[in-house]
Amino acid sequence: MVLPLHLTAVGAYLAAWVVQLRGFRVRRAGRQGVELYVMAAAAAVHLTALIVFSFDTRTIPLVGLGPASSSLALIIVVVFLLTSSGAEARPAGLFVLPCVLLLLVEAIAVGLQPVARQTAFREPWFAFHVTSIFIGYAGLLLASAAALMYLMQFRALKRKQFGSVFRFFPSLDALEGLNRVGLLIGFPALSLGLLAGWSFTLTYGRGLALGDPEVVLGIVSWLAYLTAIASRRRRRWRGRRAAFVSAGAFAVTVTAYVVLRLTLTASGFFL
Amino acid sequence: MSEATPPPGPKVGSDRDPARERSLASPVLEVIGLSHRTAPIEVRERFHVGYSRLEKLLAALTGSEQISECVVLSTCNRTEYYCTVSAPQEAERKVLDMMAQQADLDVDEIRPLLYRHRDYDAVVHLFRVVSGLDSLVLGEPQIQGQVGEAYRQSSGCVPGSVGAVLHRLFQAALSTGGRVRAQTRLAHGSASFPAAAVELARKVFGSLEGRRALVVGAGEMGELTLKVLRNEGLDVALVASRRLERACDASRRVGGKAVPYANVWERLNQVDLVVACTAAPHPILTAEQVDSARPGGSPLVLLDIALPRNIAPEVGDLAEVFLYNIDDLQRVVEEAVEARAEERPAAEAIVADHADQFWHWYVARQAGPLIRLLRERAEEIQAREIDGVLRRLEGVSEEDRERIRMASRASLHKILHVPTVTLRDLASGLSGPELLDRVRRLLLDGGRD
Repeated sequence: MVLPLHLTAVGAYLAAWVVQLRGFRVRRAGRQGVELYVMAAAAAVHLTALIVFSFDTRTIPLVGLGPASSSLALIIVVVFLLTSSGAEARPAGLFVLPCVLLLLVEAIAVGLQPVARQTAFREPWFAFHVTSIFIGYAGLLLASAAALMYLMQFRALKRKQFGSVFRFFPSLDALEGLNRVGLLIGFPALSLGLLAGWSFTLTYGRGLALGDPEVVLGIVSWLAYLTAIASRRRRRWRGRRAAFVSAGAFAVTVTAYVVLRLTLTASGFFL
Repeated sequence: MSEATPPPGPKVGSDRDPARERSLASPVLEVIGLSHRTAPIEVRERFHVGYSRLEKLLAALTGSEQISECVVLSTCNRTEYYCTVSAPQEAERKVLDMMAQQADLDVDEIRPLLYRHRDYDAVVHLFRVVSGLDSLVLGEPQIQGQVGEAYRQSSGCVPGSVGAVLHRLFQAALSTGGRVRAQTRLAHGSASFPAAAVELARKVFGSLEGRRALVVGAGEMGELTLKVLRNEGLDVALVASRRLERACDASRRVGGKAVPYANVWERLNQVDLVVACTAAPHPILTAEQVDSARPGGSPLVLLDIALPRNIAPEVGDLAEVFLYNIDDLQRVVEEAVEARAEERPAAEAIVADHADQFWHWYVARQAGPLIRLLRERAEEIQAREIDGVLRRLEGVSEEDRERIRMASRASLHKILHVPTVTLRDLASGLSGPELLDRVRRLLLDGGRD
């Protein structure tokens, strides 16, 4: 049941993405936000899949690569839907949806099975820790999608290329706003998540394991976020420079994740 | 003038009731006019009908026997007379006389400039016009309001000039235009220079509400652009011109504030958008001036709509500065027009759908009196025949006679049911008026020509 529901969600997310791609090709946003309705329907199916998973396995779907990837994908969609109900921000789905699909395909590929872990990983505050971090990543993804679109729209406006990017993407002002919202949602969430994780390790009498790839990734992401926020706050960077920093922060996070997965982990526990 | 073959007129017989015949005759829906497709602007303007002249013109047209209803649509791109007429040829002559008189030309001179559409074609024509499919700029939205205004003015200034048919036709037309604009993107995008300017500014700033603009040069184009930007919510407009009084006049018209030209570029850091449209033969704004006025500032949109250009091209290389000239605006317009053209088939389909619906109503409305006449004639014959038979019968009670009459009437109604339903169905086809005319002649003349 969990797998068919996941496959259905993948199909629906794919359909929403195709609607957006078509809009991009014909240079206009979808009528009446049809892709948002499709995404919302897909998210409902996706949520059902994770609830069924929890009932079947009696574990929260935050432990193990497959379930955690699926949960992260759902959180990204929810954050996107909550922040993009305005017509202007909808085209950001063009960048957000491929990430969601990638995470879901990964989840299905590695398997949606529960992973035997310590009892501590079943406690509510662990769920809070992981969920907060996932919201943080979702915010960072949204901010970087907006930043990337900002840079593309900026380039189109500067070079006077009045094609698909000019027509389909929102205004620079709207993209700047979406970037700011992504950072404002993501940074506090990521900070809270990391604090919760630190408390968790202290509670169990362990120090902060700086060699732990999950800890390394958390700190790298947080620092990247901090740089993006600080450049806005302290240096008053706006527009193109702020977009560059946001996109850079996301690139650093993704690079760190890939490097850590390839070099430091063999266990498969690391997300 | 392009002409359609007129339907055969009714044959007047000596034993006919002319009043009844007129009530049964199918009125013809006709449009005669000229537009940007058939006449240049210097000709079109001679045919323009202003409100002051409309009353006299409508009274003269609808006062004639041949024209029962009339709406005059007169815009800068077209002048068209929509009429319901009983005698098409005489009515056409009457309209042509009026148009020639209006333009101060001979009828023969204006004939090649005009087009005429009749019945279903006239319906489709109006629906295409109101949808912007026949406009100079495809999909332009103003025509919807202009058609509505023409209908209101025509019905308001001469009572009775708009009857049931034209009332329904124009209501259906406005509804068609609304649906085309709601369900297609025929009116989307910027298909004019000012609209393109707005689109470019919106792509940078999003909403223009609360933004500030500076217009340098009090030319017509700059003023027009500023008006459109003001309609989009632009907050403060500063107008500068070498002659302060011109700046004052222009700022009064657009609701802005005149500023002296001397130190105008010092105000660059107070505005988000600049429209340059002076007659200066060389650039009046350089990259150095912009850079010194806005060191690392927020986005600035510069619209250089002057020829020769007013703003040095290097200004566009500065960070956060977006410089556009006339060619750029033209390209935005071309892109929009191209995108609109892709919506044409969908819009045409909506027009055809609405035209079919109207046509069905229109012909059914004409078929009703004929079907009533058909039934009356058949009942007269049936009553006469049955009374003749009953007179010759003996020993039949009055009760039985009434039963026989009722049975005969019931049989007649059953026999007539299929022909009347078929007639109504056939009448709603494209050749409906011709068919109805033949039926009318069949009933009134017994089919004799």
